[in-house]
Amino acid sequence: MLKLNHIYKWVKSGGRRIFLLNDLSLNVEQGEFLSIMGPSGSGKSTLLNVIAMLDDFDEGEYYFEDEAIHNLKSKKRTDIFNQNIGFIFQAYHLLDDLTVYENIETPLLYKKVKSSERKALVADILDRFNIVGKKDLFPHQLSGGQQQLVGIARALIIKPKLILADEPTGNLNSKQSDEIMQLFKELNQEGVTIIQASHSESNAAYGSRIINLLDGSVQKS
Amino acid sequence: MIKNYIKTGWRNITKNKGIFSINIAGLAIGIASCLLIMLYVSDELSYDRFHEKADRIVRVVFRANVNGEEMKEAVVMAPVAQVLKNDLPEVTQSTRLAKSYNNRIEYNGAYYGQSSLAYVDPNFFEVFTLPIIQGAKTEPLDKPNTVVISKSFAENTFGNTDPIGKMLKVTNRDENLLVTGVMEDMPKNSHFHFDLLVSTLGYAQAKKTSWMESDFFTFLVLKKGADIDVVESKLPAISEKYMGPQLKEALGMTFTEFTKENEIGLFLQPLTDIHLHSDFSDSTTLEQGGDIKYVYIFSAVAIFMLVIACINFMNLATASASKRAKEVGIRKVLGSNKKQLIYQFLAESFISTFLAAFLAIILVSMSLPIFNQLAGKDLNFQYLLSPEVILAIFSLILIIGFIAGGYPAFYLSSFNPLSALKSKFSGSGKNSGIRSGLVIFQFVISAGLILSTLVVKEQMNFIQNKELGYEKDQLLVVRNSYLLGNNEDNFIDEIKNNPLVENVTHSAFVPAGESDNEVGGIFKNNEFQRRMSFYNVDENYIPTMGMEVLEGRNFSEDFGAESDKVILNQKAVEILGFKKNPIEKSFQRDTHDGLKTMTIIGVIKNFNFKSLHQEIEPLILKYNPYGGIIIRSKVADMSGLIENLNGRWNAYNVKEGFDYSVLDDSYNHTYLKERKMGTILSLFAILTIIVACLGLFGLVTFTAEQRFKEIGIRKVLGSSASQIVALLSKDFLKLVGISFLIAFPLSYYLMNKWLQDFAYRTEIHWWLYLLAAGITIGIAFLTISIKSYKAASVNPIKSLKTE
Repeated sequence: MLKLNHIYKWVKSGGRRIFLLNDLSLNVEQGEFLSIMGPSGSGKSTLLNVIAMLDDFDEGEYYFEDEAIHNLKSKKRTDIFNQNIGFIFQAYHLLDDLTVYENIETPLLYKKVKSSERKALVADILDRFNIVGKKDLFPHQLSGGQQQLVGIARALIIKPKLILADEPTGNLNSKQSDEIMQLFKELNQEGVTIIQASHSESNAAYGSRIINLLDGSVQKS
Repeated sequence: MIKNYIKTGWRNITKNKGIFSINIAGLAIGIASCLLIMLYVSDELSYDRFHEKADRIVRVVFRANVNGEEMKEAVVMAPVAQVLKNDLPEVTQSTRLAKSYNNRIEYNGAYYGQSSLAYVDPNFFEVFTLPIIQGAKTEPLDKPNTVVISKSFAENTFGNTDPIGKMLKVTNRDENLLVTGVMEDMPKNSHFHFDLLVSTLGYAQAKKTSWMESDFFTFLVLKKGADIDVVESKLPAISEKYMGPQLKEALGMTFTEFTKENEIGLFLQPLTDIHLHSDFSDSTTLEQGGDIKYVYIFSAVAIFMLVIACINFMNLATASASKRAKEVGIRKVLGSNKKQLIYQFLAESFISTFLAAFLAIILVSMSLPIFNQLAGKDLNFQYLLSPEVILAIFSLILIIGFIAGGYPAFYLSSFNPLSALKSKFSGSGKNSGIRSGLVIFQFVISAGLILSTLVVKEQMNFIQNKELGYEKDQLLVVRNSYLLGNNEDNFIDEIKNNPLVENVTHSAFVPAGESDNEVGGIFKNNEFQRRMSFYNVDENYIPTMGMEVLEGRNFSEDFGAESDKVILNQKAVEILGFKKNPIEKSFQRDTHDGLKTMTIIGVIKNFNFKSLHQEIEPLILKYNPYGGIIIRSKVADMSGLIENLNGRWNAYNVKEGFDYSVLDDSYNHTYLKERKMGTILSLFAILTIIVACLGLFGLVTFTAEQRFKEIGIRKVLGSSASQIVALLSKDFLKLVGISFLIAFPLSYYLMNKWLQDFAYRTEIHWWLYLLAAGITIGIAFLTISIKSYKAASVNPIKSLKTE
């Protein structure tokens, strides 16, 4: 599905390069559930951002479903991202001023989906995540776990091929994280490719494959 | 999608009520001011445009400079109209108007004093669009002694009876006028207003052939497409042809000889320029007009008000960018493109602008009566509801919404989603530079307007306190004392004996307000010098007016006949070259019976007998008591005296009531235009600084929020509240300070230009700058300190806990 070849990303500090990603190569197949582990600062988030095309890299090649991302203009990249990828944040990043329903609906608005279809899609996903009763609440009225559920629902609404989750349970207690992980597993079984970054061994264990990052390089597969 | 934009926009607005109110209030004030000024300006520009031929009608005017006397007259000689029509193919019609003063109209024994009456040529109604609603629709004035009256005059005089065919009497001229038509009242935005238009066919002046006396306002209708400059270029030849022979006879010089050293000529002025572009002498002006300069000034103020309000909007929006950054990041990750974000921010801006415009319209409707009073206008709110204006307002809203919301929209939507989410962004850097620039701009305008207002006020004070060469206070003018007929002298004697009266004089010549006028040619050794103004006075004039005799003596009954004696002002002495020992020198003046020798018996100190816009001109006082009465009261409160005079007047059983004017009021009235301008300017100066300070308040609010934690830390470290206030205020006050450096030179330049209009003017003193700076800084500091003091007095624990 996606292929990273010898990716380098660095920042300059006092004339020296500090490598965030250092000769990183990675293959992710359709239907995989990949967990990326590593200590703080090992480059997990940077890697996810690069995969999400939210961040540039300095050297290397990136193919997403045979598209050479490194050769594309940023607008085209954004298009590919918007069509294929759902992103889930550690801090949920729900829009505070919008209700649960509206938060989930927003990506559809941006994709110019028709009103009737939007209603159906949002209703489906609310139903599926068991949050129909919460649809008119605002984010601050929900618990962390519920907020992350909304975040996931919002990421899924465009039916992405790939879900990127950057420490999705980092702000949750263990019971809540188990529930989220269980959900990821189910989604994966339905065919969605998932890449998650995580600190926790137990969460990572839900994945079908685990890689470890250290100083911007893959340690072992 | 649009629904969604509006919904999120509205949520955002309601969440930030404080900032939102500032935005709306500022914008509403800005838009309301702009609308008011638009009303005012469009009214000023609409003068005389209601005539169907407005764009083809021109007025013939006279300008000359003869031996140092500058003449600017809106009236020309009686034969000009006919000659121009005959000699110039471009002129299709010409018509004349002569204003008549002191008219007493009588109908059925009732008097309608001081009605405005003019003699007009029979074709007047073909040139000007003044609809006749009753009587002869065409050529109502084609017979001598016919009159067309205005609708309101008809209602006043005739009530419900049909006025057509009735006779009116002009008692002071013993004329009988037949009413042949009733016309609509002349619109407000006409440069002349008359209740009675009388045919010139029975008017002797109209038949005069002299090219040496100007009496008639003369209007031409040009052929369609005729070039006014081309027509004007043919006028010198006409002047030479017709004026030349008469000039030769009067002065013994050919036209060519005369124009070698003097300028003299006829010019054309478009009808639609009359109201705003006239600089003609007061005595030849039908009504005090407007001034194009003020139209420019107010238009600029209107635009500034809007821009300042828009700047508030932009500044507050970009300042709150840090708050919105996260939202932008999320939305971008959720698939929003830049365009969609721009739409969203614009939607917010449009909601605010619409609300502000709505509020502004309410504000305008409420303040219009007050504004009308200040501006001396009769602006109508209905005008704002006409389709074109609504369309204009609508597009204005769109433009404002776009300007105010556009910059923040483009700016916010360009955030990189990652750094936006990490909140790396803060409201500083390049952006705060732009913001500072905008704040400076706002205060340049505010401080500039405040200084300008102070200069206008200072000039008005100067006018009020100027040594005029006579004492303008406690003078009462009774212009129509001639109505008493034979009893006039008795009335004057009574006044003389009134214990409330200091002095009284019998003259119709008043240095301010409505006055008689006499100008005549002056000859020395039978050689023409120039024309000079005359005052016809009696021996009490100089003491009553409080003038100063510098040399010689006043007129006196002791010397018997004084009619060939004159008293000159210093300027006249200087021009006639009598600097040394002017007394007993003589010169000749032009009269209907040839030259008459006058002997100088005294010199008075120059006094301002025209407005302070003009230099003092030469003036000759001659002994010829007639006309009205001028009374000097002993006490400042003249109400008792007026009461008393009114009683005496009525005892003489005059049909018309006692009418008087207070000279001081008439004097002030002369500068009504400037005074009004000053009032309006100060009003908008205040509004401008209010709006600018609203913006400042908003910005301080944001800074205080941004530096919430810093303030907490500083307080824990022992900073006092006032130190914190200083910390937060310093940067803003610096901006205000910088704005003075731009505002003051600019304002100095413009106000100096304005002052050039006055021959007698104040200086722009250094302390005016100080005062303007003090006012501006004071208001700004007050605004800032309210907010920053609040921020400084928060318990530091609170701010540090939020981490």
